[in-house]
Amino acid sequence: MAEDGEGIIRAQGLVKRFGKLTAVDGLDISVSKGEIYGFLGPNGAGKTTTVRMLTTMELPDEGRVWIDGYDTKTEFIKARRCVGVIQQQNSLDKDLTVRENIIHHALMQNLSLKESKKRMKELSDIMELNDRMGSKVETLSGGWKKRVAIVCSLIHNPDILFMDEPTTGLDTQSRNLLWKMIRNINRKGTTIFLTTHYIFEAESLCDRVGIINKGKLIAEGTPEELKERVGNFALVATAPDGNESITYYKDMDTAKKASLDLPHDNSISIRPTNLEDVFLELTGRKI
Amino acid sequence: MHNIPSEIVRVAYGDLCYMKHNLVQTLVSTLVGPLLYLLAFGYGMRAGDTEYIAYVIPGIVAISSMNSGFSSSSQKIVIQRLFHSSFDELILCPMHTSSVIFGKCLMGIIRGMVGGLIIMCLGMLLTPGLHITVWLLLAMLISSIMFSLLGVAAGLLANSTPTLMMFNSIIILPMSFMCGTLFDVSSLPSLVSDIVWALPLSHTTSIMRATADCLPVDYISVVVILAYVAVFYSICHIVIRKKLY
Repeated sequence: MAEDGEGIIRAQGLVKRFGKLTAVDGLDISVSKGEIYGFLGPNGAGKTTTVRMLTTMELPDEGRVWIDGYDTKTEFIKARRCVGVIQQQNSLDKDLTVRENIIHHALMQNLSLKESKKRMKELSDIMELNDRMGSKVETLSGGWKKRVAIVCSLIHNPDILFMDEPTTGLDTQSRNLLWKMIRNINRKGTTIFLTTHYIFEAESLCDRVGIINKGKLIAEGTPEELKERVGNFALVATAPDGNESITYYKDMDTAKKASLDLPHDNSISIRPTNLEDVFLELTGRKI
Repeated sequence: MHNIPSEIVRVAYGDLCYMKHNLVQTLVSTLVGPLLYLLAFGYGMRAGDTEYIAYVIPGIVAISSMNSGFSSSSQKIVIQRLFHSSFDELILCPMHTSSVIFGKCLMGIIRGMVGGLIIMCLGMLLTPGLHITVWLLLAMLISSIMFSLLGVAAGLLANSTPTLMMFNSIIILPMSFMCGTLFDVSSLPSLVSDIVWALPLSHTTSIMRATADCLPVDYISVVVILAYVAVFYSICHIVIRKKLY
């Protein structure tokens, strides 16, 4: 029985250990229906492990997950029906053609062959895949493989789409196309959980961002809220020896005033803060 | 539960497409081993002994169903898990764990059955004493299922290709020779013969030989095979549900 509660994706006290390493350490997440939720953090922060637990690929050592109200431990089949996943690593069957991969995914999602073909046509039109349907996946470039993976993940029209670093390794054109597509599917009501280590991607796409570091959620909010917490403007001073210091100010005027007090031989710039600054301020290191 | 047969075919669709693309290679690799056994043991070592050929052919069919079932399932899973990452897609699909297990067995079962049938047909041309009966087909089916399940379990547990090759070398290969397939194990020392009796191939060989010769089947062998099926299935189930792969 699906549980009513806030958040189409909910996780409570998630913990995952690999030997002595705690990859995810007591994570609580709640993502609302229709949101694009960005999960931002450096490599090795625990993003992929979290996605694997949220999508039932990995069992948490502690904690629970609900997808659309279904407990992923006891009602994993129902939970899986609600989600599509684009994994960081290409997970298509490289021995099969594009068409066979898509049909296989559709059949595994319990679609009939007729429905599968209909959905395949719709989605391959959108992703401009029609000319590649007969090609073996192993012959495709990274960008084309990603398009096939997207079609596969959306074939059953899921309510939630998990995307684990979807634009990593893509060229600019493919990345722009993917961003456009993410916005389009979100407009149609699909909730998106997107992990990334690209600041600009998180800022420009996401309604809300959770920042993860060493397995812990260290901040959460809209990109604006997160930046406001630090200060809207960053005063960057670079000393003649190359040492850089950054201080944050609520508004431009205060930042300008503060810049007057800096040594004259420093090179000074004032810019709007970004999520990298938020991460830097919270952890003392860059993403 | 009623969806499981349909789900098995859905899971196996990818493997069946793969088999379709590589039909000739699949058939050749399924048949080369058994034909070599037939040539070397049936004609090389005991030339002209039709009684021995009639004896050895059900053994070769048993070897064939074991090798085809085991290697098809295990190799494909290891590749999908360790190199293509496509095994995760199976785990993500909203299907029963049993469907995933038997879906991954289907290619091995088909290969085991086709290979075994071809060898049996050849055997019937060479010696008049052999018959393809419904019981023989059932024996081939249950043998292919059992070894495919073993292949799925090995494919799930192997953490590298060399580990799988080692499993093949220390379990599968010795069984091929020692389980009464090519000679009567009663001539072996009693300890060895007891160990051999406990191995699954001894029992599939026993029931295949009996059914091909239209002789009564030793029901203890059937029980042992069913017990092995249950054990291998349980291992696969636990490994998948507890994500131990």
